[in-house]
Amino acid sequence: MRKRVFASGAGVISSIGAGLECFGAALFRGDPGIRPSQRFGGSAAEVLEADLLRLLPEKGVRTLDRTSRLLTVTVQMAFETAGLSPESAGETHRDLGLVCGTVLSSLHSVAGFDWSGLTEGPRLVNPMAFQNVVLNSPAGHAGIRYRLRGLNSTVCAGMASSLYALEQAAECLRLDRAEVLLAGGVEELCEESILGMRQIGLASPTERAHPFGPDRDGAVLGEGSALCVLETEGSALHRGVVPLFEICGFGAAYEPRGRRKQAAASAADAMRQALAEAGISAGEVACVIASANGSPETDEMEACALRTVFGCRLDQVPVCAPKAIYGETMGAGGALAVLSAGLALSRGLAPPNVDSGGAAGINLKSVAQPINGRNVLINAFGCDGNHASMVIGAWKN
Amino acid sequence: MRRVAITGIGVVSSIGTGREAFWISLLEGKSGVGQVRSFDTSRLPVHLGAEIPDFEPEPYFRRLRPGCMGRASQLAVAAARLALEDAKCDARSPDRTRAGVAMGTAGESLFVERYNDYRANGDENSFPPEYYAGYPCQVIPGHIADEFDLAGPNASIPTACAAGNHAIGYGFDQIRANRADLMLCGGADSFSRIPYVGFARLGAIAPERCQPFDRNRKGMIPGEGAAVLVLEALDAALARGVRIYAELLGYGLTCDAHHMTASHPGGDGIIRAMAAAVRESGIAKEDVDYVSAHGTGTPTNDRVEAVALHGFFGPRIASIPISSIKSMIGHAMGAASAIEAAACALAVHTGWIPPTTNYEEPDSECALDCVPNRARQTNPRVVLNNAYAFGGNNACLCLRSFEGVD
Repeated sequence: MRKRVFASGAGVISSIGAGLECFGAALFRGDPGIRPSQRFGGSAAEVLEADLLRLLPEKGVRTLDRTSRLLTVTVQMAFETAGLSPESAGETHRDLGLVCGTVLSSLHSVAGFDWSGLTEGPRLVNPMAFQNVVLNSPAGHAGIRYRLRGLNSTVCAGMASSLYALEQAAECLRLDRAEVLLAGGVEELCEESILGMRQIGLASPTERAHPFGPDRDGAVLGEGSALCVLETEGSALHRGVVPLFEICGFGAAYEPRGRRKQAAASAADAMRQALAEAGISAGEVACVIASANGSPETDEMEACALRTVFGCRLDQVPVCAPKAIYGETMGAGGALAVLSAGLALSRGLAPPNVDSGGAAGINLKSVAQPINGRNVLINAFGCDGNHASMVIGAWKN
Repeated sequence: MRRVAITGIGVVSSIGTGREAFWISLLEGKSGVGQVRSFDTSRLPVHLGAEIPDFEPEPYFRRLRPGCMGRASQLAVAAARLALEDAKCDARSPDRTRAGVAMGTAGESLFVERYNDYRANGDENSFPPEYYAGYPCQVIPGHIADEFDLAGPNASIPTACAAGNHAIGYGFDQIRANRADLMLCGGADSFSRIPYVGFARLGAIAPERCQPFDRNRKGMIPGEGAAVLVLEALDAALARGVRIYAELLGYGLTCDAHHMTASHPGGDGIIRAMAAAVRESGIAKEDVDYVSAHGTGTPTNDRVEAVALHGFFGPRIASIPISSIKSMIGHAMGAASAIEAAACALAVHTGWIPPTTNYEEPDSECALDCVPNRARQTNPRVVLNNAYAFGGNNACLCLRSFEGVD
């Protein structure tokens, strides 16, 4: 029989707060983190400097870039909420590891390293800066700081990256490669990512995200990091912790370029795989945490996929599109959505929607709605053809 | 648990393109190293690299236009086409949703370099928008899926110099977990000035040649390339009646948790990765009869690797051949361990072990049988493929010759 995998702790830092409690409070207040940036022109869903500085460890963070700093504080919080000591968990759990989803990772460090070589000459490049040029540097730095000696991986699957990461870790736990693993994602806002998202037409020119809304014109870029402490049932019972939720099912599908008209069918396929693996029907889904970020095409695609999977009962399922609140955080987005789903289960409420305007047939309420059932479906879909879905379930002893 | 077979091998390398050309060159000990041509090295103390001199992407493309993508993607698609032709299979058949892609890479960093070039000329506003879309590393497996119309799981694993092994392990898991029946997996990286400058600043690049395990070794030679393996569920491969190069038995991933750019001096993580791979594969370490080394040729890497191999195998290490093909093709970064995995599959399939070239003087700190300079026929059955990366990542794959269903 397939081993069950649980999330027993969670760390999160985002534009709407750090720590699961603050994050959840802002999410359920419908209090968006989109505001004028502290570092760049325009608005973004940016992590507040005060939050990051407050949480950063005192020592050994000088050489970390922002992406690594975001991940570091998230690991720390995840351990603490799971009842594991950040100082000794790596010693007591020999196979403790980390799977990190990300899209651009340390892009800002990569670009800065090359720029330094180009403008000052390669002999003046700081060799210490080279370590941050690899895209697995955030996971590597976290591995060193917290003595994570098990598997250490970094996964990039576009907006679906951190759902892929959570599933990869869950699979390794099912295969007995470890008893406890951290998994989730991280993404920083940097001048390169902001520029790129504008240039490829993903960013909202009005700097307002209206997921599924009729006047949506793009996403508002965000940043953050979210990690779950995942462990096997045996490990959770042995440690005597009460899990937050269970990872019940995952589905992934890709739709190649040139066939993007079929993207909705591919996204529906990802959802159906996740439901089937969780052993539930669409009718048993208590709430959907949508991927929609305000993008004209991808939101429409997701709406169409939801109609395909839920049929005429779609209007009975509460749907929440939290990227209106914490922005499009790319590699961190799937993990932030999973934590939003976990909060929905623990509160028995679907988070409210802000700035949506609504879409035909989709149950997007601007107030928190009671949910009925023990499973939440999470979507992470990108315009690049990457589609992943996950089903989590309430902890039931 | 489903078993996983390697049924196709596609390689694009500095010493040959295609399985056969690559393998013949490896066994002959050819060198792909030359003066770096893709950027100016005059302000650096080192000038050698292992670039692919004559790569023309067009013949490998039917659907996509190679001009719209980075070189790592071009190399990846070429290797994927070669692998599929080698496996004599249409990955779309019977079910395109059951065929996926997993690729290791350091990323399409060429686009970052180009952006900086434009910016240095005050011209960043004319930087083409499609170059931004070509950067995120999920585009590399994405381009393979686009070219061959594959709808299964699709992921990039950017874990630096161990990425190829990570991606092959990921593909292995997808088949075993019954999420896919066929996975195209491996690694791809293009020659790039960012790692070149970085490794030069660390003093890790050899001025003349790459001499793994030699007493006078002076460093690595950066390279480029791609390798894609066709992984299939063993029962499906048997039903197709296709050639099986090797069976993938398992893998091990660990982290030193010691230093970003230096290995643990005792080889702790490497030993644990080999142990995990052996354990998962259901074999004994006494069964291992060839190890493809990470073998970069830097003084530290090779010394630590030797310590780890001695630590894991004990005195029996003296009778296990260990070789590093980086002596010939340099270090292709995220593609390196995928290319080495291709060599491992060919070693168990053909019975021959590729040599470690440029080997002249033994080093007491690297007391290994490193198959110096000449290929050797030893008919290995069980092999390990080792790879290590920045971040303290270690990845070890275990392959076995396929001798029928027990």
